[in-house]
Amino acid sequence: MKTTLEVKNLHAGIGATKILNGLDLVVNAGEVHAIMGPNGSGKSTLAQVIAGHADYEVLDGSVRFNGEDLLELEPEERAREGVFLGFQYPVEIPGVNNAYLLKAAVNAKRRHLGLDEIDAFEFLKLAREKMATLGMDPIFLNRGVNEGFSGGEKKRNEILQMAMLEPRLAILDETDSGLDIDALKTVAAGINELRDPTRAIVLVTHYQRLLDYVEPDFVHVLSAGKIVRSGDKSLALELEKNGYEWVKEAVNA
Amino acid sequence: MSTDPNKLDSLVNRRYEHGFVTDIETETFPPGLDEDVVRAISARKNEPPFMLEWRLKAYRHWLTMKEPEWAHLHYPRINYQDISYFAAPKSDKDRPQSLDEVDPKLLETYEKLGIPLHERARLAGVAVDAVFDSVSVATTFKGKLNDAGVIFCPFSEAVIEHPELIKKYLGSVVPYRDNYFAALNSAVFSDGSFVYIPKGVRCPMELSTYFRINAANTGQFERTLIIAEEGSHVSYLEGCTAPMRDENQLHAAVVELVALKDAEIKYSTVQNWYPGDENGKGGIYNFVTKRGDCRGANSKISWTQVETGSAITWKYPSCILRGDNSVGEFYSVAVTNNMQQADTGTKMIHIGRNTSSTIVSKGISAGRAQQSYRGLVRVMPQATGARNHTQCDSLLIGKECGAHTFPYMEIKNPTAKIEHEATTSKISADQLFYCRQRGISEEDAVNMIVNGFCKEVFKELPMEFAVEAQALLNVSLEGAVG
Amino acid sequence: MTSTVINQDLFTAAVEGLPPGQLSSHRSDAAKLFSVTGFPTARDEDWKYTRLDGAADLSNDWLASLAQHSTSTEASVMLTDAQLAPTQSINADWIIVHNGIVDAAALGQLKLPTGVNVSLIGEDSEHLALTTDSPMSAFNAALLTDGLRVRVANNVAVKKPLGFLMVDDDRSRVTQIRVVLELGDNAALRVVECALSSGVGPTFTNSVTQLQLAEGSKLDFLRLQNHALDHISTNRFVANIDKDATFTHNNFDFGGDLTRNDIVAIIEGAGASVNLAGLYLASGAQHIDNHTRVEHRVGPAVSHEEYRGILNGKSRCVFNGQAVVFEGADGTDANQANHNLLLSDQAEIDTKPELEIYADDVKCSHGATVGQLDETALFYLRSRGLDTTEARRLLTQAFAANILNLLAIDEAREYVKLQLDERVASLLGDERT
Repeated sequence: MKTTLEVKNLHAGIGATKILNGLDLVVNAGEVHAIMGPNGSGKSTLAQVIAGHADYEVLDGSVRFNGEDLLELEPEERAREGVFLGFQYPVEIPGVNNAYLLKAAVNAKRRHLGLDEIDAFEFLKLAREKMATLGMDPIFLNRGVNEGFSGGEKKRNEILQMAMLEPRLAILDETDSGLDIDALKTVAAGINELRDPTRAIVLVTHYQRLLDYVEPDFVHVLSAGKIVRSGDKSLALELEKNGYEWVKEAVNA
Repeated sequence: MSTDPNKLDSLVNRRYEHGFVTDIETETFPPGLDEDVVRAISARKNEPPFMLEWRLKAYRHWLTMKEPEWAHLHYPRINYQDISYFAAPKSDKDRPQSLDEVDPKLLETYEKLGIPLHERARLAGVAVDAVFDSVSVATTFKGKLNDAGVIFCPFSEAVIEHPELIKKYLGSVVPYRDNYFAALNSAVFSDGSFVYIPKGVRCPMELSTYFRINAANTGQFERTLIIAEEGSHVSYLEGCTAPMRDENQLHAAVVELVALKDAEIKYSTVQNWYPGDENGKGGIYNFVTKRGDCRGANSKISWTQVETGSAITWKYPSCILRGDNSVGEFYSVAVTNNMQQADTGTKMIHIGRNTSSTIVSKGISAGRAQQSYRGLVRVMPQATGARNHTQCDSLLIGKECGAHTFPYMEIKNPTAKIEHEATTSKISADQLFYCRQRGISEEDAVNMIVNGFCKEVFKELPMEFAVEAQALLNVSLEGAVG
Repeated sequence: MTSTVINQDLFTAAVEGLPPGQLSSHRSDAAKLFSVTGFPTARDEDWKYTRLDGAADLSNDWLASLAQHSTSTEASVMLTDAQLAPTQSINADWIIVHNGIVDAAALGQLKLPTGVNVSLIGEDSEHLALTTDSPMSAFNAALLTDGLRVRVANNVAVKKPLGFLMVDDDRSRVTQIRVVLELGDNAALRVVECALSSGVGPTFTNSVTQLQLAEGSKLDFLRLQNHALDHISTNRFVANIDKDATFTHNNFDFGGDLTRNDIVAIIEGAGASVNLAGLYLASGAQHIDNHTRVEHRVGPAVSHEEYRGILNGKSRCVFNGQAVVFEGADGTDANQANHNLLLSDQAEIDTKPELEIYADDVKCSHGATVGQLDETALFYLRSRGLDTTEARRLLTQAFAANILNLLAIDEAREYVKLQLDERVASLLGDERT
């Protein structure tokens, strides 16, 4: 199977604080990986580093995406190559039309791939279809990006963007946080919809409950900036039962 | 409204593109100003004696005045004797009677400016009164306007053809004593537009003027007067450009609007005078007095401006809300980049009962530019039921620019409801990263965020102006980030 | 004819005639500055809405008597019980300043906590820079004979508030009083200042308060002004705030014929925080002008400001709030609000919240409103059986309570609330004319 994402010995931090300490991770197309771990273990940092956030400094190691050195690319180039980050806290951009951003993003990617740009009519049709499956009111297209959206609406909007952009690697950072059970189910359905042999999905989550609806092929436990355990979905259940302290103890033992 | 990102790319990558000089022999007065110059201007335009008298009174009053210093602006003293006060294209003597008679070179200029007179006018249904340097050159669609009873002509023509209207209204909103620059303009104004909408008439098309300063060392002093009779309606658009020159050029215009009972005037400006280069060399000094008088009950005057040009901008389009239930609006986007400075805002003077005003000001400052919002909301004791809402936002791009807010509220009536809000912020790194993670380049993301910031104002502009304004904004901010 | 011109000859003679001492050189330096500017006039943007004609008249009379050495510098008659009321109601270490003269005897008997030192400016002004940053502060320094200097040593947190009772009731003099507070590193102090006068005829006070907050120090300063309706005062507060220091200024203006306050907070160290809150209640022909200025010279730092005003009768109030963010003061968070209740058709409010920003990593906002009592709320209260007067009083108090709630000194809360309720009642009783 073709390797999509290959993280090797990744050391990274923000300012003087080192967060990732030699992290290794391989994610192949068609797989769903869940990365779990206590607060501060480096889950979000990993997501931000892969997406190219300028605040995070890579100190050592490599991140390759379909064989290419991802760390060499600007954030927008990574996005156009097919890396999608679903933000834990999607930012509000007042006045910028949600549909406008989405269309500009879709077309930026299409241009990059040498495809014709999608026209407004086609775009709207597609967007409305995707929104219907996500249970989103089309009115959200005409609002400012995340402007005044509730927590759940913001997360659905992230899934909508993912659905429209059809990434090859989707990293969803705490997409389940702050959602009620109905919203969680809708978001999970949106993710399952995108499960595909050509696509890799990484779920970053603190809790097991999302995994009830999106069944992962692999579960990794992150602690102090390293993956300390990997396993199948049963590992998530074990964690749920025993808590993260158990992992720490297991590591220290 | 959406802008093609490709187009945006090409827009941000171009320089001030209106900076070419048309080679038309101009007949220009030698620099200097005295009573003889004022007389000569008046004579050149075959003005009736009342006009000359008014100019001379204004000139004499100007001599007693001092240039204002209260604005948050820094520029070297202007030597008013170094400026030429009249420049006309040679062909002025026998004025063109139709477009066919217009000097083709001039038409070519308009083509370059993106205003093909016939095409654009016909397709868009816009009548254009183009002011090239100081003299109105051509006016289209006279016929259709005539049928509606609308008068839209160069100011100099109105002085001769409609002296009774000029006598009645000229200086009735902005008296020549009003301020230093208005007095100067009153003495030496060369041309401008005159609009008269008769009672009950809805002007059948949007009226538009393009102003352009071309000759070196000339000042441009247009005078615009718009009168909307009872129950009439007009939308007027004004565009401004100037060529690149090393020296600073002076522009001191006066615009007077009169709205009678139930009348409505919408006045939109896209100002793109040459802003000077990155080091502040050259550029237009833009000192403009714009004021609208809601003289009748239920009248409405709305100012919308997109100001991206000029080295110095000093401009406060204002509304005098005299009529009961009258409405004043001011929507503004001002962009200053590099070394530009702008001190701009509005005055809303509430006099009539149940008058209301809305102010939305969006300032964007980048480079080493300084920008100030200066506004006055005054509610007179008799103005029962006055309402004002002011929203004043500044966006900062870069560490060396400045954004300042000086709102004055003088409230003398206890039934007034006045709300003022102001915010200052910068484009956040999180917003930029979010857009880039979706595959959008940093420059496009900045343009997108800036356009979003200005949205409330752009939606007030007529469609085709809105597109132009958005494009201009992007050009103005070129190189501001990164 | 009224004028704000100070007679230069009288001024010079008066300054030269004051008894020599430590303050002499301070006075002559300040006199030079003042001679250039004189009193501010309407031509000064900062004085656009406030005229000092009355203050200038009183000052000229006083300068004339000073020049002829005809005023006594002896402390005048005893204070009345009414004048002493704040000292009975608020538990604090009170220092009394009567007509600009510190009651040194009482001060000598005051048992101050360790680490707190209070001295008289006239005897302790060496190595002291007297602020002369404005015409009125220069006028004050030029004619200064008495004042207080308070020092709090490093790491001393003073528990009991320090009280200043400032009473002015002598028609023959203009009070020039200056208070200098110096807080050492991590020192903490709370101050209650009550300013009163007695309505003996027009009087004028020109005060300056200099506040130095060293690293990590904390100062809560409450000022309650309840002058008689014939009293004019100009009061300048200048605070220099160092790293991680916190400055809170609560300002209540209930009385006075004409009151002008200038409150200047200068943030000179990162991590500093400034809280300004003020309430002005005006009726009759009162004129109250509050000018505040917060200078964010460095960042990150936070400033919050809220001023509220209630105007009735023919009163006029002015609010001018400046927030200035200097180049490089990144991480500044400054917000400001001014709300006004306008209750009479002859009252006037002139409000001007200003932002001047020269840095980009900032969050700044301001808001200003002018309005009336909420009709829906009035109706609601009336539908619950309250009469109109009672309903109006309740809502007006509620409007004012927003500032009362920001009061940092608990010991003074009850007294301020009583004064406030009384003032609201008298203000609402002011006939609409």
